[in-house]
Amino acid sequence: MNRPDTQAMLAAFTAALAEASTPEQIEAVRQAHTGKKSEIKLALRGLGAVPPEDRPALAKEVNDVAQAMERALSEASASIEARALAARLNEEWVDLSLPGLAPPRGARHPVISVEEDCLAVLRQLGFVRVDGPEVEHPYYNFDALNIPPHHPARDLQDTFWVDGGYLLRSHTTTVQARVLESRPPLPIRIASAGRVYRNEAVDATHLAMFHQLEGLWIDRGLTFAHLKGLLTTIAQSLYGKRPVRFKPKFYPYTEPSVGVDLQCGVCEGEGEVAGAPCEACHGAGWVTILGAGMVHPKVFREFGYDPNEVSGIAFGLGTTRMASQRVGVSKVALLYGQDLRVHTRLHRSGV
Amino acid sequence: MKISVDVLRRYTALPESLRQVRLLLDDLGLEVKRLNPDGHLTLELLANRGDHHCYEGIAREITGRTGGALTTPAVATLTVGESPWPLRLETDLCLVYTATLLERVGEDAGQLTDAQLAPLRAAGLASVLAPVDATNLSNLELGQPTHVFDADTLVGAVTIRLSRAGERAWPLFTAEPVSVPEGTLVIADDVKILAIAGVIGCEESKTTASTRRILLESATFDPVKVRIASRALGIHTDSTARFERGSDPARPLVGAGRVVQLLEGTGAWRRVGESGQVGAWVNPERVVGLSVSAAAGFFGMPLPGEQIVEILGRLGYIAHLSPDDGDTVTAYVPTWRLWDVEYADDLYEDLARSIGYNNTPVALPPVDMGALPSAAELRRHQIDGLLQSFGFYEVFTDGFYGRALIENLGLPDAHPLRAHVQTENALDRAYSLLKSSCFPQAVELVALNQRVKNEQVKAYEWTRTFHPAPQHKLPSGRLSAPCTERRVLWCIASGTDRPRAWLDKSRPADLFFLKGVVEELAVALGLDLQLGPADAEATLADVLHPARQASVRLNGAVVGVVGEVHPSVLKGFKVRKGRPVYLELDEDALLAAPSQAVVFEEPSELHPIDRSLAFSLPPKVEAGLVSEALRAAGPPSLIRVNVVDLFEHEEAGVALRTFTFALTFQATKGQALSADEVNAGCEAMIAAVESGEPGARGVRLRR
Repeated sequence: MNRPDTQAMLAAFTAALAEASTPEQIEAVRQAHTGKKSEIKLALRGLGAVPPEDRPALAKEVNDVAQAMERALSEASASIEARALAARLNEEWVDLSLPGLAPPRGARHPVISVEEDCLAVLRQLGFVRVDGPEVEHPYYNFDALNIPPHHPARDLQDTFWVDGGYLLRSHTTTVQARVLESRPPLPIRIASAGRVYRNEAVDATHLAMFHQLEGLWIDRGLTFAHLKGLLTTIAQSLYGKRPVRFKPKFYPYTEPSVGVDLQCGVCEGEGEVAGAPCEACHGAGWVTILGAGMVHPKVFREFGYDPNEVSGIAFGLGTTRMASQRVGVSKVALLYGQDLRVHTRLHRSGV
Repeated sequence: MKISVDVLRRYTALPESLRQVRLLLDDLGLEVKRLNPDGHLTLELLANRGDHHCYEGIAREITGRTGGALTTPAVATLTVGESPWPLRLETDLCLVYTATLLERVGEDAGQLTDAQLAPLRAAGLASVLAPVDATNLSNLELGQPTHVFDADTLVGAVTIRLSRAGERAWPLFTAEPVSVPEGTLVIADDVKILAIAGVIGCEESKTTASTRRILLESATFDPVKVRIASRALGIHTDSTARFERGSDPARPLVGAGRVVQLLEGTGAWRRVGESGQVGAWVNPERVVGLSVSAAAGFFGMPLPGEQIVEILGRLGYIAHLSPDDGDTVTAYVPTWRLWDVEYADDLYEDLARSIGYNNTPVALPPVDMGALPSAAELRRHQIDGLLQSFGFYEVFTDGFYGRALIENLGLPDAHPLRAHVQTENALDRAYSLLKSSCFPQAVELVALNQRVKNEQVKAYEWTRTFHPAPQHKLPSGRLSAPCTERRVLWCIASGTDRPRAWLDKSRPADLFFLKGVVEELAVALGLDLQLGPADAEATLADVLHPARQASVRLNGAVVGVVGEVHPSVLKGFKVRKGRPVYLELDEDALLAAPSQAVVFEEPSELHPIDRSLAFSLPPKVEAGLVSEALRAAGPPSLIRVNVVDLFEHEEAGVALRTFTFALTFQATKGQALSADEVNAGCEAMIAAVESGEPGARGVRLRR
């Protein structure tokens, strides 16, 4: 047989491959130059007829050319695929200025968020949440809490009376009264949160229904110092390490009663900003966040406790007011309305 | 109360700057609500401290802190003797009543000085006539309300009594006489009511510029009686504010003396004879004991008995430390504090106020390990999170509504949704009924949002409904509540399931959307929560679409309802767009049910075999019927039956729905599954559907 011209085969292959620019053309070159009927495959198959003394050298030569062709084909394929991929990726541009398509989340009510934050602090101190009825007997709302009929304190909480001599609770202190009546073992550490009702003329800042959270701690040996320590802990856990001040207040069911003020975060206690009264605190330098006191001896006696044996700390947080401060909505009526644009904007800017 | 800092300085020394005065007053519980640069303050006074309603009371509280001297206005000394006017006391609800007669010296009616009138100006009161100004000043300065009658309008004796049925009086500043509730404490002469005791005087006996003789009243009335009269007549005055908190029963002659001092000082008026008095208040000398060691323990700081005695003395108590035990302080309560000091705890408050609430120690009581949220609280958080992930916003609705809202439902009078507990005194008619259902407010929410062009509505609420219940006597002797309270979770959705989508069309947030929410709740909470047949007796059955509602069942028991809002209701509420859907669940049932553990099955490594079958269903035949028949007839290798497509068409004039059911078969280890076996299984399932109940109701395989 004639000696195959592998260099000519390689040259022809190289020329054909140089012309190929698509995967299909590459495949055609592969079939023509390395397929079963290609010259290189015929040369490989014809090696058996080559004299034994020439066969190793020729076999090496044919194989080298065949492998060079395979390498070239692979490289050409890879190159073309890379170009094709690059072209495809370029075409697959998406307009990311368009909005995302995941379903937008809703949100919890800001008052409940505040309530949960408060409860989280109280739970760390061992408080557990308890609940009670909203339609309540006046005994638990007033009489048991040292608020007899015609007491001026009843002016503070004008009441919705309902059928049957009952009322809509005007504070969550009713829950405390019910817990004390049940005489659980000491210590008692409970928190009650929920809706309360006031029969007031409703406007942007006054509601007939809003939320409160109250706490009660009953044990032996609780002191005024403990009251201040507990309230400071609660206030600073919720608002950070801002200065706290205490001032006398009056609540019928505590004695002494205290108000807890937090230093105004805007004017830092100065009462004014740039020479004008601070709007956030109305020039006071302080913002009231809590009402509290030592449980009144009359309340203890009402439920059969000896006030010389046990003492108690009661406190209340206006969660509605706290939420309005947190989200910067002074018209609390908006928070209690059902316009969902308000609720959306409380959680998503610019919608 | 509005006061002037400059006037207050006449009573006691104050810090120089207004800012420091404000801080001092705040610290004493005399909270400054408004501070004007001119030194006028608006104070919010504590409800139990009637004695704070005057300059002297405020100044006394300040001296209790500062230890400064207290200077009080000059007071003419009045002596009680033969009454200048016949007085008759017919009730013990007036503790003491004094009357002093003054007459005009000449034509001049007198005029108080600018300096004297300063408290009036600070309080926003106009100067009227010298006698009236003097009574107002006495109240502002010393906290003793007084009143002057034109003595020449009085007929017969002045009587302090309770009003009789049908009596009328003409209070000052009212256009005409008003009915006085029977039993009101009044001051009257023989023919008319002269004043509502402690509240206001009357027109017919008022002092005018031409008055020549005035009868000056100064008294102490029962606080509750004054308060009731004030509320019944809707009249609230500075006098009421003072009397209803309990006035100082030792002070009527002092207050009258201040008025006399001021009027005689004008040179235009002089006393006639002595003062008359009826009623004989005797100081019961309230004594409160206090243990020095207990007080020290209460505050957590050393508090010597001598210091306690000294502080209480500054506040007007007469206090002694027992020389026997050195621990017992005996404190005689001053007459102006008889109404609010009763226990040692009250003295603690006075001590704390004097020392400064911010000057006592602070200590956190010992606490043990904190508590975790309860299982119910955690579950509620889970539900919140899931609803929010579907786009729901938590909202609040009122616990009540008005009749107008219920009328929108268009229900007959006897319908259970019309049964309500009513509020008796709501200022607003929109609060007249305690809500027995959340549904009306939920639909109103959709209407409200549509009115503001917001058609995307997904809202939920945890709330309560109130259901009338017969009252019965409890062991305490009290009557039970007039209603039961049911805790519910409700959701309403309207608009699309996925707002703000731009790439493809969103689906409406319809009943299937809410059904999906229920199914996901079931998965998330591990509950057997499923939709079941609608309950025709359910209270919401009539306000939901009759063919698009279902019960929600937990372990087979009904715990809620889901459905599309009835078109008539939408019309009643003027909801013009969309088909809102409503879900209501019983909160207690939802939060209390134990979760079921998920039974895990490891996925097979063998490839499943999929087939699909399409069945045509006549109207009102449920696809679930076919699914169930397929499952029942399928071989053990059948692991899933899913509806994957719906094709609605008509054949021979009958509207058909053709559903494609995707069937998944799974071989198990050691048990190969051939295509022939799967095909045979499918044939058996087809036969079961067509020969069973689905077939009997017209279901056919679509080939």
